[in-house]
Amino acid sequence: MSIIVHDEPRVGPVPPEPTPPAKNYLNVAHTAASWLFTVDHKRIGILYLVSLTFFFTVGGLAAGLVRLNLLAPDGAIMTEDAYNRSFTAHGVVMLFLFLIPSIPAVFGNFFVPMMIGAKDLAFPKLNLASWYVYMVGSGFLVWSVLAGGVDTGWTLYPPYSSRYSTSNVTPGVFGVFITGFSSIMTGLNIMVTVHKMRCPGMTWGRLPLFIWSMYATSFIQLLGTPVVAITLVLLMVERVAGIGIFDPTIGGDPVLYQHLFWFYSHPAVYIMIVPGMGVISEVITCFARKNIFGYKAVAWSSVGIAVVGFMVWAHHMFVAGIAYYSAILFSFLTMLVAVPSAIKVFNWVATLYRGSITFQAPMLFVLAFLVLFTVGGVTGLFLATLGTDIHLHDTYFVVAHFHFVMVGGMVLAYLAALHYWWPKMTGRMYSDFWSRASATIIFVGFFLTFVPQFVLGYHGMPRRYPNYPPEFQVYNVLSTAGASVLGFGYLLPGFYLTLSLFFGEKASANPWSATGLEWVSSSPPPVFNFDRNPVVVCGPYEYAIGVDQLGRGLPEPPGPGSADDPASHDGPTGPAGPMQKETHVVG
Amino acid sequence: MNQNGYGSGYQTGSLPALPEAASEVGQLFEPLFWYITAVTAAGTLLVMALVTVFCVRYRRQNTTGSTPRILGSHRLELFWTVTPLMIFLTFFAWGVYIYDRAVQVPNDIPEIFVIGKQWMWKAQYPNGQRVIIGGNPRNMTPEERADIGALVLPLGRPVKVTFISEDVIHDFGVPAFRQKIDVIPGRYVSTWYNPTKLGDFHVFCDQYCGAWHSLMVGKIKVVPPAEFEQFLEGKGGVQGSDNPVDGSLAFKGWQHFQRLQCQGCHVTNEGQGTRRAPRAPNLEGLYGAEIPLEDGTTAAADEQYIRESIVNPRAKVHQGWKPVMPGNFGPGVNGQTTEEELRELVAYIKWLKPGQSVPPNDLFPPPYGAPRNTPPTPKPSPSAGGN
Repeated sequence: MSIIVHDEPRVGPVPPEPTPPAKNYLNVAHTAASWLFTVDHKRIGILYLVSLTFFFTVGGLAAGLVRLNLLAPDGAIMTEDAYNRSFTAHGVVMLFLFLIPSIPAVFGNFFVPMMIGAKDLAFPKLNLASWYVYMVGSGFLVWSVLAGGVDTGWTLYPPYSSRYSTSNVTPGVFGVFITGFSSIMTGLNIMVTVHKMRCPGMTWGRLPLFIWSMYATSFIQLLGTPVVAITLVLLMVERVAGIGIFDPTIGGDPVLYQHLFWFYSHPAVYIMIVPGMGVISEVITCFARKNIFGYKAVAWSSVGIAVVGFMVWAHHMFVAGIAYYSAILFSFLTMLVAVPSAIKVFNWVATLYRGSITFQAPMLFVLAFLVLFTVGGVTGLFLATLGTDIHLHDTYFVVAHFHFVMVGGMVLAYLAALHYWWPKMTGRMYSDFWSRASATIIFVGFFLTFVPQFVLGYHGMPRRYPNYPPEFQVYNVLSTAGASVLGFGYLLPGFYLTLSLFFGEKASANPWSATGLEWVSSSPPPVFNFDRNPVVVCGPYEYAIGVDQLGRGLPEPPGPGSADDPASHDGPTGPAGPMQKETHVVG
Repeated sequence: MNQNGYGSGYQTGSLPALPEAASEVGQLFEPLFWYITAVTAAGTLLVMALVTVFCVRYRRQNTTGSTPRILGSHRLELFWTVTPLMIFLTFFAWGVYIYDRAVQVPNDIPEIFVIGKQWMWKAQYPNGQRVIIGGNPRNMTPEERADIGALVLPLGRPVKVTFISEDVIHDFGVPAFRQKIDVIPGRYVSTWYNPTKLGDFHVFCDQYCGAWHSLMVGKIKVVPPAEFEQFLEGKGGVQGSDNPVDGSLAFKGWQHFQRLQCQGCHVTNEGQGTRRAPRAPNLEGLYGAEIPLEDGTTAAADEQYIRESIVNPRAKVHQGWKPVMPGNFGPGVNGQTTEEELRELVAYIKWLKPGQSVPPNDLFPPPYGAPRNTPPTPKPSPSAGGN
């Protein structure tokens, strides 16, 4: 490690605040048709945001029912059948209608073109079509839930789902099948956009890490989703036409389904988490005022996860009657896929080193992510290890593990992204106090909810059990109590973000003093994103030098020490000001 | 017994800090579990400590707002790539060792047969003792309800347990033994247990199987070996069932063999009074043999092969024989056997050693259950099954 000291600061002049155009993408038109037939990627991102918020609420309510019912060993509020339908609704809605589209469809749509300096995605109409396809698919799912629900669990294992269940499996499966195409369309669109529409100077080595992670995600969406689509078709064929594919009594093989299903659904957990990892890299650099530590390591670990993630599916089947040697092989490969995630965590932590850290809401969500995702990741090792998985498989240990990764990881990354980019998307700032409070409450509530579930799982409490032995009750009550704290934490953003739309302070173009291209244009952005085509001159996280990707100086970062802080007397670039550069180049 | 099927024998207070480990594999599980816990907790705490220290030390109030331009370090990247990988591989290797012990069934240990169905577990012992391990009583016939007991296992003696499902996928999970295994329709899967503690232990269905999945629970009762022998003889009251032992599995298999007229084609005493050539291969000594197939490959005649050859006889036909066997002997819509009867047939065919067949007593044996003058000879002894 060598340290190069430059004599002269290389800070460029801070650009003037761009004058907000009279017409931005929000106020350019107000009719319903202008929203429903828009091909503007930003408006489609907003459409997704509204739909996803709705389905997150639905899935959250179903989770609330599940947790309430588990208060008593015999079921506190509903029958076994109703419970089965509730947890299936929770799983299906959260996974297929929220987690899989979440960051790619909302923030990918909105910010991939802006971050690479493009006017729109490569295929704007395909983008709109993807939202309609998503809405049609979710319409089928809503129909199947309203007509009585599905009781198969989100994994839909045959022969139960194909031959035995009397619930509305067919419309539900058809809905999932359709939403898969929306995912493919988004993935294709983003992949082509990243390849073909980068602005001048935006080389692969200068792409923000969010773009790298979106690219890796698109790769998984394109290769994996067709497999689950055909699997679901086979399932519907068996259910509707009675052709034996998975049911052994009519000549099928039930384990075949599990291979096909997990060949997609394991990579699908990376569809959910890898975009979140991209968000973390964006936010942590901005609020630590640091270059990312190990850009290439973080970028390539995303791609590594996407590739190796396709080779580990059978670790969901260690006790499902797969061959002895294939169990050993898949356990080994699973150990390999754990490494890139570890690399990312270490790089993020190293990024904090010698930073200048402030703790606004996006950063608090990111710090919570770091803790929860690490716990979620290491508990995955218990399940990747054969000797421990044969006990922990299908217990609450698994439930706690993937909620730590999917909620503690993914949902917190989603909230971090939402809080980080909210001023850009809406042009308004939200309440600093309430947003920090929300991040703290969610973090605490999350721990209270899911740590007891690890204990339950270690003691053997199975998943999907409305009835359980009485000795498990204490931990279930603890978990439900935590869930109510968590639920309250989730409600808060609904209030203060909505209020900010009407009463929030107007946001400047670059309120966090971030380096990405999306902060170049005014908040909210104009219809075609940029007033003139941007030309990128440097990498994405030059916080140390203090320039954005166009090589212009950064406005003063918010937080203690800024100009409105009485402690800072000499202005931002003065000798004690926050923009005073040491210009140590270490690398 | 309360509504959800958990007996009063279980504690109703809080969980113990450490769950009981009551089998050989269960005791192997604990050190590995705590090894992974210790190592990963150390790693997690290291990350949390670094985050905390950095956040406190480098907070804005403490710093100027200007930061050094640190781009990374190849040596550090290499260090934190290789170190976790090496640690993860120790988990992997230790896990493989335990997995190997858990799934490789030792040879020549007694075998118990367990059927999962919506929503109960039924066990058959080789000598014919039957018991329902547990399930949802609301979903049972009165006779079945009277049979609810426990899977009785002998202390310190390894037993093999073979599972099959009658309908959907279930999973036989025993937390105290730290083991579980998916119970799949149409396929025999086996595991083994060596109980090391006396007592009652939970059995959970761990694979979602429908409305009363959570009531598909039962119990395992580990008893001293002497008591286990009594239970097998049907004398002891250990399992709370008055189900009499009515002949070994192999004997009952022989009865089904007669009922289904299998011996009409699977003629064993060629030319000895049957006056016609056999239309199907001799089953004596079949179990464990390598069967040559029409396509030149061979199949190992294990339990799964025998079952498949009854249920779906044209799948793997012995070289030189015509596929003439009808496909309706197995369980199914028009099937002639239940999964339990199929198991008994398999036990009978496994028991058949060369020269051991029960010859047809005449050309047209009376149907099963009809009064008959002479008992068949030689009669398989009740203890012979399940070898």
